[in-house]
Amino acid sequence: MRRSRTALLALAVFTAPAIAPAAAAPTAVVDLGGPRAYVRADGVASLAAVELYVRAGLDRQTASQNGLAALVAESVLQTPVAVRAPRANPGTPETLQDAIDACGAELAFVVTPENVRFSLQGTPDAIAVAAPLFARALAAPSFSPPTLTAARAALAVRIADEESDARFVALQMLRESYYRDGAGLPAFGNPGSLAGLGPDDAKAFFTAWYLRGDAFLTVAGRSGPATETATRVLIGALPAGSGAPPSLASKAFGAEPKRIVTHRDVEAPYVGVGFAAPPIGDPDFAAAWVMRALLDGVFERGAATTQLPVFSPVGSLYGYDTAPAQFVLWINGSQIDPSVGLGAVIALVKGAATKPLSDAVLTRYKETARGEWSLETLSLDERAAALGSAVTRGLDADAADAVPAAIGAVTAADIQRVAKKYFQKFDVALVLPRAAGSEGG
Amino acid sequence: MGSRAAIVAALLVCGGAGASAQLPSTPTGTALPPSGTLPGGVAYVIRPDPAQSAAAVALWYRAPSGGFDAAPTPGLARLAAATVAASTPITGTPLSALVARYGGRLFVEGYPDSVSITALVPPDRVAATVRAMTADYFAPVVTAAGLQTGLADSDEDALLRSVNDDVIEDALGAALFAAGPLHDGTIGTHEAFADAKLERVRAFAERAFRPANAILILTGNVDAAALANVASRAGPAGDASPEPGAAESPRPAPATRRIDAYVGGTGLAWIGPPIADETAATTLDFLADLLFAPRTGTVSRALGNLKASVHGTFVTYHDPGIFVVTISGDDAAAARPIVERAIADAAKPLAPAAFDSARAGFTYRLLADMDTPSSVADTFGWYAVEGDPSYAPAEGGLQGRYFGIVRSLSPAAVARTAAKYLGPTPGVVVLNKVQPSAAKSGS
Repeated sequence: MRRSRTALLALAVFTAPAIAPAAAAPTAVVDLGGPRAYVRADGVASLAAVELYVRAGLDRQTASQNGLAALVAESVLQTPVAVRAPRANPGTPETLQDAIDACGAELAFVVTPENVRFSLQGTPDAIAVAAPLFARALAAPSFSPPTLTAARAALAVRIADEESDARFVALQMLRESYYRDGAGLPAFGNPGSLAGLGPDDAKAFFTAWYLRGDAFLTVAGRSGPATETATRVLIGALPAGSGAPPSLASKAFGAEPKRIVTHRDVEAPYVGVGFAAPPIGDPDFAAAWVMRALLDGVFERGAATTQLPVFSPVGSLYGYDTAPAQFVLWINGSQIDPSVGLGAVIALVKGAATKPLSDAVLTRYKETARGEWSLETLSLDERAAALGSAVTRGLDADAADAVPAAIGAVTAADIQRVAKKYFQKFDVALVLPRAAGSEGG
Repeated sequence: MGSRAAIVAALLVCGGAGASAQLPSTPTGTALPPSGTLPGGVAYVIRPDPAQSAAAVALWYRAPSGGFDAAPTPGLARLAAATVAASTPITGTPLSALVARYGGRLFVEGYPDSVSITALVPPDRVAATVRAMTADYFAPVVTAAGLQTGLADSDEDALLRSVNDDVIEDALGAALFAAGPLHDGTIGTHEAFADAKLERVRAFAERAFRPANAILILTGNVDAAALANVASRAGPAGDASPEPGAAESPRPAPATRRIDAYVGGTGLAWIGPPIADETAATTLDFLADLLFAPRTGTVSRALGNLKASVHGTFVTYHDPGIFVVTISGDDAAAARPIVERAIADAAKPLAPAAFDSARAGFTYRLLADMDTPSSVADTFGWYAVEGDPSYAPAEGGLQGRYFGIVRSLSPAAVARTAAKYLGPTPGVVVLNKVQPSAAKSGS
């Protein structure tokens, strides 16, 4: 085996969601008897990703259901399966996830403000075996106490991962400040809220929102008969019907920035600055993407290689797959004085709103923005997710292919307009070391 | 702010070098082969995937991490590569700045016996990146300012690697080898880097980064026409032969080392087969996955609620490879017997059904590790630099040589290989966790 670190690093410099830029083949749309599958083939790939979107994301939760969307999704993975697959590690309960592992495939999920995205990856042969197992669990998931206990334990690991990264702590604080209702809740809840959710909650949530009429699938990679069969089997496992129309909404910014503070086990402070932003498909999106490149480069220094976030003074997370969208800039206090950093960011956004960028600066950052867009979707999962992000926004699955051209057409006036419209009001999240004392979450 | 301790704690949780080379052509105008050697002596591998939205342009070199001098400076190869990336060539823009302007990402990685430079770029910048990268490295410009930037970059890389399991693996080489690149390791120190003088870095770059020692890899959304942009070296051509692999000198008996580090933990390592023994090397890859794959591996499951992070891998080198296991975390001591028991049990054949399941999982995880342009480039670069590019797992996908060997594995043969290579006493490294300011190597 090789000993490679580059591949991991390449993926570590991510932004937020994934929407694919141009690829050689356009996406095929397959009618599954109402719901659709969006298929982008890659004949070079050995694996395929089949992704099921269920309209059962964060915004389906009430305030007292923090974590329920994730608990239900994880329970599907933890559902015991009736068919025993051959296993390397007998003696532990065989769950759907175990059985799919044993097929040589992988099943995972992500919770977004609107959807739960299940991702099934494997060779076509493995998907052919794994998809019926997944479908069986989808049709009759277990929400028994032992299953929920296992699901809570699995989610606790993911919660701990997010909590250990100050950037994501700041992001969550700003999401909660920006989005109304359940959409602003943490993707995986928290251990306390999960403990308060039981089998009845899970069953009710599943029954209400896991509906075929709101679902769709995306496929990327080595598509063919096995993946097409998988899409039909999976969509068929969901009950017919549709839920209430989407209800995602954001809160208005105050006249002055809201300042939210928490204390965590971090050695240096992090600052998050949350702005409203246009989603993919919005006429202002391309200009906002160029603004992102400008802001990310505000403290640019001549580094020899691309820096990891821990060594970067600033970075950003742009949730452009959700409408309304949010743009969060983080400032790393181990690399730059947070007040100096925040001051520079505010000066930049104010300057961009009042004075057009020079041609040289605009050209430079348009090129950077265009390239960064092409690097948004590197892995198979990201490529499949990209299609889903566009479809979720009501766009053509290949709509993102038009983004590079749109970036190329951005003018200085566009930047000025977008800076005025989106980047003058913001909230600020401070993640401070516990040693700094004082109260806070 | 900006303190080293803060970062450590946080982590604990065609150009100027000459004209373009002529592409090889055939009388019938047939397509360029996917692998070969350009007229200037540059070996290349190109594997296009037009469905990808980006491309990787990578240069790999066989060069010892510590340099060519008798007294090695671990990390020198990476420092030199980073310095060249940051130095301003006569074309006017350092490679690092050029790739950043393209919206791309540039990575430099140092391994015991090789160093790689990889740029991830949009497809329409592949040609320009090939031109700039080959010009910059084939006739390297090393400036004082570039060295300063390269030093900062190498410091960050060393810092990052000193607070994760890399530091355990790096230290294991000296437990198995008395001399050679694996003994010397790859993680440098701030002090040693600061002592690296411009002339030494330049001399290393001139020798290591010669076209004849280069392997150029293009993957993702690339076109073979990009190879027309490979620069040729102006002036003296230098030695037209690639660097020979530096010899490794195994210890007569593996040693146990105790060192201070930013992380506590234990490392175990065994000498494995050379890359030429493809079946044995593949078998040890399989065993590493069977035992240590996250969530599904035998050890990963047996750890239960222990607060321990255990990783195991076989690293395929020219001769010999090494099987390494790193154990860290608060419960590392309790995890070690679990690891040792699992390794001992690996010498017993698995039941056929369990074996088939483990092999299916191994196949998937290996393929999933190669689904981006840079990971594919890494795979080809690694196996090419170690001397067996056609054995690279990315070559031919499931129909390639590597996965053919995977399909041929049997429970009994795997058990025999485990007994042969993992049965002997391993080299051991025990890391004593100290505060960042106090970490210092010893033996």
